[in-house]
Amino acid sequence: MTIPLFHVLILAALLFAMGLACTIAWRANVIMMLIGIEIMLNAVMLTLVGGSSQWGMADGQIFSLMLMALTSSEVSLALAMVVYLHRRRQSVDTDDFNSMKG
Amino acid sequence: MTFSDAISLLPLIIVGVASLLVLLAGPFCQVRVVTVVGAAAALAAGFCAAAVSPVNSAGLPGLAFTPLARYLIPVFCVAAALTLLLSHGYNLRHEIRGEEYPATVIFCLFALCVLPCATNMLTLFLALEAVAFSFYVLVAMDLGRAESAEAGLKYLLIGAVAAAVTAFGLALIYAGTGTLALGALTAPAGFHSILTAGWGFVLIGIAFKLSLVPAHLWTPDVYQGAPAPVAGLLSTTSKFAGAAFLLMLLAFAPPRAELHLPLYLLSLLSMGLGNLAALRQTNLKRMLAYSSIAHMGYLTLALMTGTRDGYSAVLLYGAIYTVMNLAAFGAVASLSANGERGAITDFAGLGFSAPLRGGVLALAMLSLAGIPPTAGFIGKFFVFYSAIRGGEIVLAVIGILFAAISAYFYLRVVVQLYMRPAGANLPKPCSRAESFALVCTSLGIVVIGIYPTPLLRLVESALALG
Repeated sequence: MTIPLFHVLILAALLFAMGLACTIAWRANVIMMLIGIEIMLNAVMLTLVGGSSQWGMADGQIFSLMLMALTSSEVSLALAMVVYLHRRRQSVDTDDFNSMKG
Repeated sequence: MTFSDAISLLPLIIVGVASLLVLLAGPFCQVRVVTVVGAAAALAAGFCAAAVSPVNSAGLPGLAFTPLARYLIPVFCVAAALTLLLSHGYNLRHEIRGEEYPATVIFCLFALCVLPCATNMLTLFLALEAVAFSFYVLVAMDLGRAESAEAGLKYLLIGAVAAAVTAFGLALIYAGTGTLALGALTAPAGFHSILTAGWGFVLIGIAFKLSLVPAHLWTPDVYQGAPAPVAGLLSTTSKFAGAAFLLMLLAFAPPRAELHLPLYLLSLLSMGLGNLAALRQTNLKRMLAYSSIAHMGYLTLALMTGTRDGYSAVLLYGAIYTVMNLAAFGAVASLSANGERGAITDFAGLGFSAPLRGGVLALAMLSLAGIPPTAGFIGKFFVFYSAIRGGEIVLAVIGILFAAISAYFYLRVVVQLYMRPAGANLPKPCSRAESFALVCTSLGIVVIGIYPTPLLRLVESALALG
């Protein structure tokens, strides 16, 4: 049984919206923002794999594999920065990072 | 991969090898040597790219040395080399030690060189993201100032959201067209809505990268927090790369009428809000951030016409903006002592106490304001000319009015430099590398402003086959 492309896209859009809502709603906490971004990128991968199966081409699957590598490096970079800032400020609360205004 | 493919991709190979070499051999050499090697490699790659004749056939999957690449790679290479020269003294004063700084700049240059060579959306996206990754690291590199790490984290979080949005747009375009190749972005019947949605998401993502209003909020904070040479490189090459990303997607796809309104609004709001918000800034780096928002608005204006004139104006303006902003941020970097010289009033009288650097800063400000005979005038002239020829007369007139308003805040800096008594905080003497890089950028501003024909010819040949 094949799943129609539009069903996949609707699911991906819902997932993407949930991820975006997570990043916006939990703006106070860096870790929650990273989780939201991760969910958004998973929606992207779902779309790519859905498109791939629709057109019978492997391009989309390769793209999603690359995205996995990209996501993991992004998260490692972000966590390194969070750890570094946490040592300086003892906080992961974004409201504490407010030394610049204007 | 044949031998001729390897020759045509020689710039990428040089930069790639140089970045690894700098990173691995760095611990055993002095930072000075590493910086010189990095700058030399960047210049060699730029020279190679200018000398090799472009081919349009894809030798490798996803990569080809296109005419566009032949134009963009030398620009990026020169910008990176100048940044390395400018940041050497700055890094010594700010105790940014180690080889990771030059290595990251060269990694960034590698990604920048891959971007215009891309022939499919996967390579294009990976290159754009690799550029952003290098900048996340570079922005947070100054351990001595708390703002630097904070700016890095802010940039990373917003950049990651923008990357997710762009990737979703590209994924939808793929789902709608069934191909990742840049040349064939047309949807079969019944898939048009998916393609349109995809374009919408790509535009939002690129608006973040180009810091177009309403996605501009990160820009002033990141520019203020980043080390000044990094802010210079960030404001020039990464913006130009974002514009090239959009240009490649738009130029290869058939024209899409529904993109006109969003681009129109993005351009209008960026020109307006960027220029008006810059009026009330007291910090020079924040002022330059708002000015870059406004300049990206001008660029979008040229891009949205969708004509060949518009695209060549984008390429021309990108190169000119790179030279002007490198000069401005380079002068700021070189005038900063242990701390960052931020407030505009801190620059009082520096036109006399540091004549070269004050002069370069004043020249950069005049050029950013678009006063003839500087390069900025040529750039603005071609942007508005192409907009009027492309039928965007109302927006072009609004843009010219805002450009006139912008002269106020640029000239305010010149007034501080030459018409106010000097403060107590005098800058350190200028090193030879810094003076060399500053003289190069200011020569660029003046020469392009007086004799733009060679650059115009290069821009024409960049669009010849691509």
